[in-house]
Amino acid sequence: MSRALVLALALAAAPPLGAQLLDWTEAERRAILRHGPWPAAWAPDPSNRVSGDPEAIALGERLFFEPRLGATGRVQCATCHVPYRGWQDGRARALGLEEVERNTPGLLDVRYRRWFGWDGAGDSLWAQSIRPILDPREMAGSAARAAALLRGEADYACRYARAFGTPPPAEDERLLAGIGKALAAFQETLVSGRTPFDDFRDALERGEREAAARYPAAAQRGLRLFIGRGRCNLCHLGPAFTNREFHDIGVPFFVAEGGVDAGRHRGIQRLRASPWNLLGPHSDARDAAVALKTRHVRLEHRNFGEFRVPALRNVALTAPYMHSGSLATLRDVVRHYSELNLDRLHADGEALLLPLKLDEGEAADLVAYLDSLTERAPALAPRHPLEPCR
Amino acid sequence: MEERRAPVRLDARALALVLAAGAAPVAACDLAGSRVLESPRFALAYRTEPPRPGAGEHFAVELRICRPAAGAEGLRVDAHMPEHRHGMNYRPGLVALGGGHYRSEGWLFHMPGEWEFVFELGGERLADGVRIE
Repeated sequence: MSRALVLALALAAAPPLGAQLLDWTEAERRAILRHGPWPAAWAPDPSNRVSGDPEAIALGERLFFEPRLGATGRVQCATCHVPYRGWQDGRARALGLEEVERNTPGLLDVRYRRWFGWDGAGDSLWAQSIRPILDPREMAGSAARAAALLRGEADYACRYARAFGTPPPAEDERLLAGIGKALAAFQETLVSGRTPFDDFRDALERGEREAAARYPAAAQRGLRLFIGRGRCNLCHLGPAFTNREFHDIGVPFFVAEGGVDAGRHRGIQRLRASPWNLLGPHSDARDAAVALKTRHVRLEHRNFGEFRVPALRNVALTAPYMHSGSLATLRDVVRHYSELNLDRLHADGEALLLPLKLDEGEAADLVAYLDSLTERAPALAPRHPLEPCR
Repeated sequence: MEERRAPVRLDARALALVLAAGAAPVAACDLAGSRVLESPRFALAYRTEPPRPGAGEHFAVELRICRPAAGAEGLRVDAHMPEHRHGMNYRPGLVALGGGHYRSEGWLFHMPGEWEFVFELGGERLADGVRIE
């Protein structure tokens, strides 16, 4: 190896000029390490007997891009969950057959969620996958229409039989549950890639100071705010940066025509009324513990105006933000927490959120940190056209 | 779940009541790896499963009611974060296993920080602080 090549390799491996590692305390280091490693461990969903099954994943992928599941043939799952936009649509509010009142959440890392939808009305990914098919404002489909498609088209019937081990059943609702489960199996494969933060976090864990110092100083300062004064990690915790629960953060919940979006309060009511919930006949779970959350979830007045705490990985790819898409940029999100309007909180005396009162530099640092939670290369393998099923 | 604060919340007046009432000792009130809480008329041992639940993870609680001997009709169990002034998002269930032994499922501390277990029976309230990481 030539001396020039050795020098070039050494320079490439060295931290950039001026790189520095903040003097992290042991408590900060422990807090940082809790946000990894990534990707996090995952186990198939016991309520979905085809979770993780390659044949079901293939069926689910085809269904995800299938407009005939809906009434008009114009809307498919991918209409709102656009693959090249972080599996969301970039709009403030989702547009199916009509515009609805909520923002389309991205689907990367959806397999790690406990509840689904901004209000958590879904307690499984397969149940949540059925909801937009039936919603008259989104796809306006029906169990009968979806079931007829699966039974009537040879390729679908073949894929269903391969995935579930039986031909498509005669009962429409049972077949719709199977469609939801195949859609879920596909979405469970959508996992975000590693980020600059992950490299920093892992270097810190290994004690590699030079590698850790490559993480930009602004992102390090933002991280210190995130786990320190900002206390962002009270809710945005763990490797996926979410406690997988619900909070009121003072985002207005008024919707058009003088209505309100009650958020989690209505979500729990919808969950309990749903024939697709984990306490119903379509769950494949043999262990009652799988439905623990559904059985024990508590409906309280404070749930009014609460919405799901979103995961933060790939957050830079999923603007606009909040349940209503009301904040256009990450800087707007940081400004929201910096200037929080406590009068808008509907928290029944909860004393959790206070305005952060960040100066311009601190706000920029926090944005730099959030930006560093975004993958630099997608983890997803390129997708190829599916072979016909025989 | 990490270090715990003082095991039993009893102020000086309550302690005097315990002494004056000559409450029976609770040496036999135990479950392996449990915490023992007591007041003049109410004593229990409890433990979590797993022993150190993390933030955002479901866990169960096992209880043994040691006093009153008459039983635990009306026993209520819950937890909250005193600093944040909010409780849990889940309502734990309680199943009697016999002999004053109970199993409670559905617990989840959705944030790291200081939580407090609360056990109420017959107007008596026992609380125990725990730090969740």
